[in-house]
Amino acid sequence: MSGLTLKGLRKAYGAAQVIKGVDLEILPEEFVVFVGPSGCGKSTLLRMIAGLESISGGDLFIGGRRVNDVDASQRGIAMVFQSYALYPHMTVRENMGFALKFAGASKTEITAKVDAAAAILGLGALMDRKPRDLSGGQRQRVAIGRAIVREPQVFLFDEPLSNLDAELRVHMRIEIARLHQDLKATIIYVTHDQIEAMTLADKIVVLREGRVEQTGSPLKLYDDPDNIFVAGFIGSPKMNFLSARVQGGRLVLPELADQSLPLPALQQALPEGAQVTLGLRPDVFKRGGSASLSLTIEIVEQLGGETFAYARVGGSAQIMTIAVEDGRALRPGQALVASFDPARALLFDTDGQRLR
Amino acid sequence: MKNPLALIGSLLAQAALWIAAFISVFPFYWMIVGATNTANDITSGKASFGTHLVENTTKFFTTIDAPRVFGNSFLVSILGTILTLAVTSLAGYGFEIFRSRTRDQIFAGLLLLLSIPFAALIVPLFMMFSRAGLMNTYAGIMLPGIAAIFMIFYFRQNTKSFPHELRDAALLDGLKEWQIFLYIYIPVMRSTYAAAMIIVFMTSWNAYLWPLMVVQTNEMKTITLQLASLASAYTPDYGLIMIANVLATLPTVLVFFLLQRRFVEGMLGSVK
Ligand SMILES: Nc1ncnc2c1ncn2[C@@H]1O[C@H](COP(=O)(O)OP(=O)(O)OP(=O)(O)O)[C@@H](O)[C@H]1O
Ligand SMILES: [Mg+2]
Repeated sequence: MSGLTLKGLRKAYGAAQVIKGVDLEILPEEFVVFVGPSGCGKSTLLRMIAGLESISGGDLFIGGRRVNDVDASQRGIAMVFQSYALYPHMTVRENMGFALKFAGASKTEITAKVDAAAAILGLGALMDRKPRDLSGGQRQRVAIGRAIVREPQVFLFDEPLSNLDAELRVHMRIEIARLHQDLKATIIYVTHDQIEAMTLADKIVVLREGRVEQTGSPLKLYDDPDNIFVAGFIGSPKMNFLSARVQGGRLVLPELADQSLPLPALQQALPEGAQVTLGLRPDVFKRGGSASLSLTIEIVEQLGGETFAYARVGGSAQIMTIAVEDGRALRPGQALVASFDPARALLFDTDGQRLR
Repeated sequence: MKNPLALIGSLLAQAALWIAAFISVFPFYWMIVGATNTANDITSGKASFGTHLVENTTKFFTTIDAPRVFGNSFLVSILGTILTLAVTSLAGYGFEIFRSRTRDQIFAGLLLLLSIPFAALIVPLFMMFSRAGLMNTYAGIMLPGIAAIFMIFYFRQNTKSFPHELRDAALLDGLKEWQIFLYIYIPVMRSTYAAAMIIVFMTSWNAYLWPLMVVQTNEMKTITLQLASLASAYTPDYGLIMIANVLATLPTVLVFFLLQRRFVEGMLGSVK
């Protein structure tokens, strides 16, 4: 399996810059997930890697070979599309064997490879059906099978599960994780889904407006984001952000009626009066700790296994999301003392960069 | 019980529909009945079936070189249809799939040309074709219809429902552009093609004005020209004309019934 190297990759449509210089190292057998808000260029970047969009600038290497000008079919990649993109006039078997047939493989070879892929995905009984006679999940599996048959160096997935219902999505997610283990393939995967990103990825790449904001393992991005954007994008429910001011060695929170907290330890001490943004994930409140905020509960969400309380102070616009360990007794209107370990609070400067 | 006004309304609507149906069906009926009667019966207004079908048919095949005129018509219609579909579907596909800065201007220009009546083009076309030595040739009959702008428009509209990701998948599977068109686009769009085939075949089978200009000898006559010369004879034989009409209509009817189901799908623009 091959790794990939992206060096200063750019894409422009006329005057519109869509990808603005992406540098990225993807290791062989790595499962990389691209996330980012809609329109940030995830699909475009994936299609550039696939060879479906031309590269306006920079270099793309797959397995050490520069492939900027190599045909899509010669790059050793296979792609699974959101809409499946199965050929509607061909049976499942023909769909899966089509690339091999075009590459001039013998009939016996095609049959062997298609049957092997079908066995991996449990498609045996469906081989002679047309795509229109399959369910969404089955179509997706055929699309993956079609990719497997080509024995690519790299698999590309563009939001492959977003057309499936929730249950099937979980099922296919596990199946894709299993495939990654079995095939030892390099996978690049685009998704909107937090859970898919967190559970599948070895490495998450957070994109924003055509640039990489941060790359790292899911937990690294969750625990140690470089900036407010990544902190807010990774994790669900979203991190709470509070504006804060350094005063007398403590953090004062004007949005929470000037309650204050001990200042988290930083490599570089903050000057008196500095404005910062405090980031607190909802689940830092589960375990308690030496710092605490006094709030009033507005809404309670009971999910069975866990409870989220939405709370604020007085008439302040700032609503905090608080995960509560044992919150079945909580009711709106109650007072809530949310305590947490101040070491788990994150600070960002006024430009949104993390203060460490 | 419904109120009487609604009843009268529905009766009126029914009557209107019956009249419309009568107006559109009666000429066919008249044509078929006429084919079984003599010229005299027809001019005297007889509207019931007669006994002269065999006589009229025999007359048709003895006075007219039927294999020749039908052969001409079939040749220019079938070949013309194939060429028209090939050219216009390629153009429509290209206009929809490939982006370029001037694409929409060119397309708007084409649509503008659509508003020029064909009659206005006849003289320049005639001069062009006679200089190119295409008068009285099959190519001369077929060529002006091949790049039918309306058909390009039709294929472009229908290509909007052709999923772009199919083309992407085919590119990854190693197909060249022409192979994508041949092996993916055409089979996926076959309903669209079927509907287009009916329209184009009928248009070229029924073409009259342009063939009249180009064709100069009896050997090159198509069936529509033959019908016209039968009708303009000094003493038109209406029995003969009617049977000729019936026979001339059969191929288009046949094509329509063969492709009927796909025609409806294609007009609805379904890609399934
Ligand atoms: N052919 C094109 N011409 C001009 N702009 C384009 C073209 N294709 C994409 N774009 C623009 O490029 C940007 C990135 O698009 P892209 O599809 O990569 O986003 P994305 O991150 O995949 O979004 P989503 O999550 O909604 O799928 C968008 O602003 C889009 O409008
Ligand atoms: Mg996308």
